[in-house]
Amino acid sequence: MTLQPFENFSDVEDLAVGLTDDDPAVRRVTVMELADTAAPEAIAHIGNALKDGSAEVRLQAAIALGEFDGAETAAALTIGLQDSDLRVAQAAADSLAEMKDPQAAVPILPLTQHESALVRAGALRGLKELRNPDALASGLKALSDPEPEVRVQAIGVVAYLKPDEALPALIGRCRDTSPEVRRTAVGALAFSASPHVADALIGALRDEDWAVRETAAEVLGRSGFRQAVDPLMVKLDDAFWQVRLKAVRSLGQLKAAKAVHAIAPALNHQIGNLRKEAAAALGEIADGAALVYLEKLVDDADPDVRKNVRWALSRIAG
Amino acid sequence: MPLANTATSVPVVVDEGKCIADKGCTVCVDVCPLDVLRISDLTGKAYMKYDECWYCMPCEADCPTGAVTVNIPYLLK
Amino acid sequence: MDDIRSGLSEVECDVLVIGGGTAGPMAAYKARKKNPEATVILLEKANVKRSGAISMGMDGLNNAVIPGHSTPEQYTKEITIANDGICDQAAVYKYAQNCYSIIQELDQFGIRFQKDETGEYDVKKVHHMGTYVLPMPNGDTVKKALYRQLRRMRVLISNRFMATRLLTGKRGRAAGAIAVNTRSGEFLVIRAKAVIMCMGAAGRLGLPTSGYLFGTYENAANSGEGYAMAYHAGAKLANLECFQINPLIKDYNGPACAYVAGPFGGYTANSRNERFIECDYWSGQMMQEFYNELMSGKGPVFLKLNHLHEDTANHIEQILHTVERPTRGRFHDGRGTKYARDMIEMHISEIGFCSGHSASGVYVDEFARTTIPGLYAAGDMASVPHNYMLGAFTNGAVAGEDAIDFAAEVDFDDYDGEAIAVERERVLAPTRREDGIPPNQIEYKIRRLVNDYLQPPKVTKKYEICQARLAEVREDMENAMVARDAHELMRAAEVASILDCADMAAFASLFRQESRWGLYHWRVDHPERDDEAWNCHVLLSKMDGAMSCEKRAVQPYIIPIADDEKDAYYNQRVRAQA
Repeated sequence: MTLQPFENFSDVEDLAVGLTDDDPAVRRVTVMELADTAAPEAIAHIGNALKDGSAEVRLQAAIALGEFDGAETAAALTIGLQDSDLRVAQAAADSLAEMKDPQAAVPILPLTQHESALVRAGALRGLKELRNPDALASGLKALSDPEPEVRVQAIGVVAYLKPDEALPALIGRCRDTSPEVRRTAVGALAFSASPHVADALIGALRDEDWAVRETAAEVLGRSGFRQAVDPLMVKLDDAFWQVRLKAVRSLGQLKAAKAVHAIAPALNHQIGNLRKEAAAALGEIADGAALVYLEKLVDDADPDVRKNVRWALSRIAG
Repeated sequence: MPLANTATSVPVVVDEGKCIADKGCTVCVDVCPLDVLRISDLTGKAYMKYDECWYCMPCEADCPTGAVTVNIPYLLK
Repeated sequence: MDDIRSGLSEVECDVLVIGGGTAGPMAAYKARKKNPEATVILLEKANVKRSGAISMGMDGLNNAVIPGHSTPEQYTKEITIANDGICDQAAVYKYAQNCYSIIQELDQFGIRFQKDETGEYDVKKVHHMGTYVLPMPNGDTVKKALYRQLRRMRVLISNRFMATRLLTGKRGRAAGAIAVNTRSGEFLVIRAKAVIMCMGAAGRLGLPTSGYLFGTYENAANSGEGYAMAYHAGAKLANLECFQINPLIKDYNGPACAYVAGPFGGYTANSRNERFIECDYWSGQMMQEFYNELMSGKGPVFLKLNHLHEDTANHIEQILHTVERPTRGRFHDGRGTKYARDMIEMHISEIGFCSGHSASGVYVDEFARTTIPGLYAAGDMASVPHNYMLGAFTNGAVAGEDAIDFAAEVDFDDYDGEAIAVERERVLAPTRREDGIPPNQIEYKIRRLVNDYLQPPKVTKKYEICQARLAEVREDMENAMVARDAHELMRAAEVASILDCADMAAFASLFRQESRWGLYHWRVDHPERDDEAWNCHVLLSKMDGAMSCEKRAVQPYIIPIADDEKDAYYNQRVRAQA
């Protein structure tokens, strides 16, 4: 009987012999086979393949290590992250971002000081998910990195740890020169109810970039900052309907009864999404003053608008 | 009733210059949910043997050398 | 490879899991985790690395019940209403309570769910009552992450074996399964103390409008073996008349994922750019509205994103072209379609069985137990309604943990040795013929008949004609089908399941003499919902060798539904049709 019904992997040491083959394609296939074993003993061999003369083999090794975890894997990947071939470095960064074991942070930390911005960004991206408190200092330092992409990743490292003492530094990034950094920093402030945060978010409502304004409008409602009602009402006239939509939604979340008359014009906007959001917000506020506006929309052409109007009317009635 | 051989164009194309099936790689053949890829005895390279493709793309995504391309089957493209 | 060899091996295990897609790996993992001493075999027709409905992953969860965003009570209520009241709530409620811990566990496996800048889950609001959508930015790696866990847990994985029949024991319990190798035709008999079926949808039931047999909505490998095997083993199957029909990108026949686009402001529109769907949720009512619009002067139907900011439309495009069905991008490129500029034409899918989106499945309770002791079912083939991917994971976990305990309490149930010889002959019969009709032609004919006669609207006379025609095809299949190699043999075995499913679809639909679940069970000669007579499950099973249906009462609700809530979806439908 020759039938072998189960997946069967050769011994890791036997497989690893393939890494010494003259043909890089064979070495590459070997790396894939080693990864399939999922055996911890394979990590060291795949790590060696990250020093292979062929960039293709190194690339395969960088991808393969994403299947493993822990400090040994991360240490091997730090070599890949510094590879002169950008594809290898990128793959190593992607694999580092797959790590889960907080101990993986230990070998990554020194790379946050690396001369290459790509390496620094890749290291910080890996650290973010690990939520290791030891990474906070590196994250804070990198908030003033010259490269915007590094600063974006640094904000993630810091905000995932949610330390109150980092708030001034994060608030500082809301005035960054890069719009993407500002947007990320504004989003990162969602973990705190501090009045300083509210001030920063209200300031960000006047940002020149619409995506920053949109995020600020959203976070203000989510975090329940009552002091944001007036500034959010100003945003009901924003040039971008996406910003107006978030402002409407947040005013609903804040149950801002004084905003009813200001929200009402959004019920007539040609974009159905905004009409729907306005109706939903008026329902959340549940103030009788909205009745006169909502009743006009009972037969709106858009079923989603009609549905939200019905819901809002029932909230006000009950 | 006797059987005929009717031609059909298949959606998966393998670049034989890039394919390393002859070096022991079987990734695309392994991952295909419909099991329609094979390695040719003649060339040692992968090819699509059966026209039963869900155009789902693991063969292309997992190919280590970028040798596989999944096209949309003619009848629906 | 592919040459047919004769061979028969037998192996034993505590728990056999059939199907390595979504529910199956989770069941096998949980069974081994709970009892590391036990032997667990995972049998898969393709390869666990990339098999099943999520072979290329998923773009997000659309039924995630996460504290702070929605509650199990709220979710259970919504599913009960969306399913027109035919819902044993215990299983749905249990799912809703367990799914958050499963999300956290999947996160630990390396499956990433979208987080905001502070590392919290970035749940998107789509539905009115609760908030259930959680995007998965690297969803394409789901299968790899699962595979990694299975290897670490030392589950015995058996790829390229297709189960064809269950073995039942002399004491009436599940006793194992018979499988055939899809590349050699060799047989494997697996004796088991408990069997968990996670074999996916019956996705090759209707024929896609493109006419391409494998251009289905579901992964085309999901040909309904689970339904057929459960039937032949004597298990009961619930509500098969509640077909799966989904809104899809026309011709491509894959989902356009309005729920991905929804939180960004995208929506389904008619040719006048107007929204027309009242019902938020992918339900039969929603599909009825979709169908009505398609057939009306305002059709066809489109996914509309071109009113969004170009960056937003491009971002949605980037998600939809990377995950779940990534060839979407290639399809649109071929036609020069850009989301930021063009509306995307949509259509409805062929019919299928799939509880993931509707309610048709092997009847199970809240422990994933079927009506046969020791036999479990989870995922798209089990009867828990509107389950989706997270339901498959969660109920797969439930099945694995219950089955491993069951296996610890019992010994192997003896099965009739003759059954194996009979089954081998049935499967191999197409290889004994020199010429005849190949499986693909028989399959085409069955599925073309399904489209012609079984696709809703359902008409009694058409159904009866279909039954007669399918009986003729069965004659051909049993007496004239020919398979020239092991691969064709796999297709031949699949055809038998497809025909069984077509027969069950017809039989169950004729039994329920009312209309329910919108388009899914729209019987033109019984156009009204009849709660007096039909507020119940329909269970189909094999009795004395023939199909039989019975009514089964819905379990008393755990979460009460007020009368005005009960009709929420129904009223919308009436209004939309008015």
